[in-house]
Amino acid sequence: MNAGRRMRRVIGLSAVAIVLASLAACYPTRRSEPLVGPMPLDKAHLLRGRLLFDRHCYKCHLEGEGGLAPAMNDKPLPKFLMRLQVRVGLGAMPGFTDEQISDAELDDILNYIVALRHHHQKQ
Amino acid sequence: MNRRMRRFGSALLLGGVVSLSGCYSMRPSAGGGQTSFSGTRAVNASDIAVPAGYRVEAVARDFTFPTGVAFDAQGIPHVVEAGYSYGEVFTTPRLVRVNKDGSTTEVARGGKNGPWTGVAYANGAFFVAEGGQMEGGRILRITPEGKITALVENLPGQGDHHTNGPAIGPDGAVYFGQGTATNSGVVGQDNLKFGWLKRFPKFHDIACQDITLAGVNYPTADAPATPDLPKGSTGAFVPFGTATNAGQLIRGQVPCSGAIMKVSPNGGKPELVAWGFRNPFGLAFAPDGQLYATDNGYDERGSRPVWGTPDVLWRVAPGTWYGWPDYSEGLPLNQELYEVPGKGKPQLVLAKPPGKPPRPVASLGVHASSNGLDFSRSKRFGHAGHAFIAEFGDQAPDSGKSLHPVGFRVIRVDVSNGRIEDFVVNRSDKGGPASKIGGGGLERPVAVRFDPSGDGLYVVDFGVMLMDKTGPKPQQRTGVLWRVTRGSPK
Repeated sequence: MNAGRRMRRVIGLSAVAIVLASLAACYPTRRSEPLVGPMPLDKAHLLRGRLLFDRHCYKCHLEGEGGLAPAMNDKPLPKFLMRLQVRVGLGAMPGFTDEQISDAELDDILNYIVALRHHHQKQ
Repeated sequence: MNRRMRRFGSALLLGGVVSLSGCYSMRPSAGGGQTSFSGTRAVNASDIAVPAGYRVEAVARDFTFPTGVAFDAQGIPHVVEAGYSYGEVFTTPRLVRVNKDGSTTEVARGGKNGPWTGVAYANGAFFVAEGGQMEGGRILRITPEGKITALVENLPGQGDHHTNGPAIGPDGAVYFGQGTATNSGVVGQDNLKFGWLKRFPKFHDIACQDITLAGVNYPTADAPATPDLPKGSTGAFVPFGTATNAGQLIRGQVPCSGAIMKVSPNGGKPELVAWGFRNPFGLAFAPDGQLYATDNGYDERGSRPVWGTPDVLWRVAPGTWYGWPDYSEGLPLNQELYEVPGKGKPQLVLAKPPGKPPRPVASLGVHASSNGLDFSRSKRFGHAGHAFIAEFGDQAPDSGKSLHPVGFRVIRVDVSNGRIEDFVVNRSDKGGPASKIGGGGLERPVAVRFDPSGDGLYVVDFGVMLMDKTGPKPQQRTGVLWRVTRGSPK
């Protein structure tokens, strides 16, 4: 790939990323029961994820709508990036060790977050 | 650059941009009170959402700083108006009967010693917690004819937080909470902003039992507004401008700060139930007789700011220390979780904790101001045994930065597993009080109480309280009493 094509690709990817970020900021984030109905937690891992989320994440992010910290429901981050952010931390967000949240617990939390993100589409 | 690397780079770029779009440090505070208000408050129940099968309606309006509701022997709701609000606004504390047409009739009024923070009814009388901003806290017994008797006086309520509650226990005693004087144990310039430090320059937190200090002190800012206050440094559990030493003993006494105490309904000396709370605002006994309490988490303010600590719901065990001023939600403050961005981890002010604090039933929103609490007892209403909590809402930027409004709703907590669900919220794509998001929905829910039948959940809405850098701006005659019932209109 020559330099011109590479530059165009970088510019294109950046533009897509900025558009996605802008769209994310406009996307409704609230998922609470009075607004969109109860979230089905019929699978055991989702219920585990919900309870772990409420213990570790709710205080800053509420039900993904944001509070002290940014909203989560409007950010289409893949699981591996969320996992990285939880383990390493980002900005004001502290990192969580595997003693605080085990790998298995983090799997449940991430699965729950993804399900929560899509909950509005099930109504 | 191979294909895998390019994909990885793209993902990182995407992730970075999306993450930065929500970056905490780059964005200004956007709390729920950071808005404007003028004129008359709109009240419209259709702007409020409740779960399917429930409905909400306004029962009465135009209260000034309402903080609690209780029902007399005939099931008639009575509301207390605080008589004081943050922002140093003094009005008249009152107990008023709410008539069927939504009008009110005054039953009793107090003096300039609010805020009246809550009310309960038992055995033919009302019991009111008088916050004690000017003369110290009291627990009052008020007859339906309006005769007021103090069951206990001189509670340390002159500070940031007041005398709260009350709740009548299965033993017949009157249980009440006593909030702390300060945010985290150290009197500082933030207490001048509250207003009380100028009135009571020697006031400070009081330990319930003997404690030993680590000798951690904080510089006292040389502020032009405080020429009469001493300069130097200030430690925990001592007056402003007083330094402490490592190993210094602080003698415990009752009544004390950050505690739940109880007193006989006939009056007498208060008895300590549990301590180490920060501001135990809501007290309620579950159907099984277990006492629970809401507790407001630390703020990012003052000489010893703490970041990221949630409000909590405690299951209260007699004799237990719950962690203030060195723990949050059962964890010590000197860790990354509670590090103030750019300022480091808080130091512990106690040489040795007086116990190992338990973990809470639930960790609620940071700065949500989780206040009034009650339990459903009715299968008809549903969720029997679950806790319902009124969340007054954040006081950003005074309490610390919030990227979004926090609170301004009623939540439900399953105390068997800690699961948290919204129950009453404003109907909007964005959370926050009606004064910020528009419409005639909730402003600041401060108390919840089921009626004697258990079929109606009454929500006391304090009304509009704006926030800016100069502090709170509460708006009189904007309070509302809401009711949530299940099923179709009667």
